[in-house]
Amino acid sequence: MSASLRYVGHGRPVADAALKATGVLAYGSDLQVPGMLHAALVLSPHAHARVGRVDAAVALAVPGVVAVYSHHDAPTRPYSRYRIVPGQEHAPEDETVLAATARHVGDRVAVVVATTRAAAKRAARLVAVEYELLPAALSVESGEVVHRFDHATTAHAALPPDALVTETTVGTQRLHHAALEPHMCLAEYANGTLTVHTPCQSVYGARTVVAELFELSYNRVRMIKVPMGGSFGGKQEFILEPLVSFLAMRLGRPVKLVLDREECITATMVRPAQRSTVRTVLAADGALLDIQVHTVLDAGGYVTSSLDYAEAMAHKLTRLYRTPRYGHSGEVVVTNTPVAGGMRGWGAPDIATCMEIHLDHVARASGCDPVALRMANLVAPGAIDPVSGMSLGDARVQQCLQQGAELFRWAERVNAPAGEGRYRRGVGVACGGHKNGMLSAEFPESSTVTLKMNEDGSVQLVASLHEVGAGTSTTMKVLVAEELGIDPELVTVGEADTNSTPFDFGCFGSRMTYVVGAGVRLGAQRLRERVVQAAAELLEASPDDLHADLGHVQVAGAPGRGLTYAQVVQGTRMRFGGDIIVTSTYQSDSNPGSYSVQFAEVEVDVLTGLVQVTDFLAVVDIGTAINPLMVEGQCRGAVQAGIGSALCEEIVLDDAGRPLDGGFKNYHLVNSATMPRVDVLLIEHDGDQGPYGAKSVGEVAFVPTAAAVVNAVNQALGTEITELPASPERVLAALATVGAPL
Amino acid sequence: MNLHLTVNGIAHEVAIDPTERLLDVLRDRLGLTGTKEGCAEGECGACTVIVDGLALNSCLMLAAQAEGRSVTTIEGLSAGGGLDELQSEFIERGAVQCGFCTPGMLMSATALLRTHPEPTSTDVRAALAGNLCRCTGYSAILDAVTSVAVRAAEQPGG
Repeated sequence: MSASLRYVGHGRPVADAALKATGVLAYGSDLQVPGMLHAALVLSPHAHARVGRVDAAVALAVPGVVAVYSHHDAPTRPYSRYRIVPGQEHAPEDETVLAATARHVGDRVAVVVATTRAAAKRAARLVAVEYELLPAALSVESGEVVHRFDHATTAHAALPPDALVTETTVGTQRLHHAALEPHMCLAEYANGTLTVHTPCQSVYGARTVVAELFELSYNRVRMIKVPMGGSFGGKQEFILEPLVSFLAMRLGRPVKLVLDREECITATMVRPAQRSTVRTVLAADGALLDIQVHTVLDAGGYVTSSLDYAEAMAHKLTRLYRTPRYGHSGEVVVTNTPVAGGMRGWGAPDIATCMEIHLDHVARASGCDPVALRMANLVAPGAIDPVSGMSLGDARVQQCLQQGAELFRWAERVNAPAGEGRYRRGVGVACGGHKNGMLSAEFPESSTVTLKMNEDGSVQLVASLHEVGAGTSTTMKVLVAEELGIDPELVTVGEADTNSTPFDFGCFGSRMTYVVGAGVRLGAQRLRERVVQAAAELLEASPDDLHADLGHVQVAGAPGRGLTYAQVVQGTRMRFGGDIIVTSTYQSDSNPGSYSVQFAEVEVDVLTGLVQVTDFLAVVDIGTAINPLMVEGQCRGAVQAGIGSALCEEIVLDDAGRPLDGGFKNYHLVNSATMPRVDVLLIEHDGDQGPYGAKSVGEVAFVPTAAAVVNAVNQALGTEITELPASPERVLAALATVGAPL
Repeated sequence: MNLHLTVNGIAHEVAIDPTERLLDVLRDRLGLTGTKEGCAEGECGACTVIVDGLALNSCLMLAAQAEGRSVTTIEGLSAGGGLDELQSEFIERGAVQCGFCTPGMLMSATALLRTHPEPTSTDVRAALAGNLCRCTGYSAILDAVTSVAVRAAEQPGG
């Protein structure tokens, strides 16, 4: 990173921080529209049941209730809540706005609309639904396999006789994304146009689903991204938009639906439960000769993104480890359990958890140090991923591991005794890799943005941004400001609105900074060129002699001869009748690896099985931290979620398929009292194509966390815990298998 | 029934349904939507307000229980639409990301500093233990509260 950069590399709060800290910012649930009605859901209490007669008489008698709908009087056309472009593969249309057959506890079977939310919720409890119970598949063993895959880079070949073969099966659990803001949607229908206010991750994705479902031409569907109180992937599919749009169109009035926490857990989506068997062959010199994986993934009641999710898991490990042979097969199983969908990292944390717990198993079996084993096998800068055939770019994962091990004092701490009393200490390490956008041989990546300069020289960026709360808008502001040499406060950045912002796939695949950010930087360069060209016309000078910076265009070698940006805009408009506005499209031609290596120290209470993380280091191959304040925030937030997934977060189902975690009372997030201090080490370099060398962080920082913590627990106790979370019950059970410690 | 309460220094008389929570009255009847609903069961703290000096979950309190009491919400934290010291510190330290937990965090932290002007780091962690955050990992939030407390202690007469 160049030292001459004015704004890139300097910490900056999120753009709307003051609005948030004063309570002024209106999130979706705060929106009020004249004449607005409120909806409340009736959810299936059964895991699999045909929805028979729906008696709404009592519900309709509740004062304020306007309507009650079930599948008997709602559209029955199926759709995929997951697709973002028409005709998308792996996006089966298996869902309807209201279910005729409930496929999981929490499936939407009816909806009440009333003048107040309280009336709607009261009436929802009074809708009498007759169910015909059907056999329920509550595990993958009894579910329906809807997809199989098998990716292999080479055929099996003979392996050296002294090679070490190790096999580990690791299971990761259903997780709740746990954005603090519950899901919501508000739709209005007037003059043949549907307007939807939604805290989503892709307005154009939501539009293609809703427009085709209701046979509206796309220009008559307006999707507006509204402020979002976190997503972590939980709001990336279009769960509520179809239903709420139906209500607004049917009633001709604005309708708002805000879910409660229990509904967010049961009726939106969860990270899938999956189990993977990892089998590796290790040469005597410590090199991995073969990695074979088989994954079984529980898609839940509807397929949504699970086909792509499972396949994504098969595209991760070769971006992290070198191996001459690699195979990954698997099955996606539909069951009658909560709907599974993408979450932060999209399969990378899941498979990294399996691989990294397995590698500690290999380390124990081979007598090799966990850090040394990984160091001997991690990819190097410039490596080609054999599965995708693409370069991993300036992949610095080895550097992350090396510098992290030094900073964490790994060699010293891994050999320290665990202790013999009630509390045992252990340390763990794990590596993780992720991507930078969705570019592959089959999928192009691009970003189109418009920038316009105002008559005072300030700038507006018009782009389909979906701020999830992590500071994307601030990043884009900084990029524009850096290119134009103006204060970031002179740059206004809006969010996505299909009526006004250019097409964009949305906030997926760690593409925001790397792809969209590069697009914004290109747009700002084009705007600067346009300003210089316009100034040249006004000054009757050659553009080659002009230099734009600090809000001025100067003629080289002619002090005092120049124009302010404001004069350029005003002059262009009044002398030539033109404007300073550019639209440009950036096409990404790379998808390097982003990496994180993390180190955990834990203290385990062998009496209760409780684990406390006592020290944590997250090292991230960031390329360039455009906004270090938010990059570090992303890392620490990711570690909070990762520790939760390692130790306490899990959606547990009873024997009827009912989630036992009706809310945060039973679904435990790590809170401020138990969260350890997290050190963050950023590895910066400038070897990739992101803006100023920046790479993704929000997802990759979550990838290795759970494995680092579980590995530390196993190191402390000499156990081989392979089922997550490592709850007190599991810790005590694992201790029993290695002999009672006390 | 009619409820009489003071919110952010302004006396209100509000006709309410006896089943309404304080959170509903603040958001729906008084339009103070800065107070957020994250779980409705007192676990996440997004709805925290200060009632007669105590930080409380407004989702767990019936509005009727606020009769005659004085309530401070996030909108009342700094007069005149500016930022108080704690708000500024939250912003500068990156303690605000998605922001949905922020009002509740600020109210819990404010109540703490009013009663314990020189809290230990354990006090701060304990005071904020009922406020969940999914974005920040808490560090920036804890640092912001601690640094405001330290600065206040260092001031003459502080």
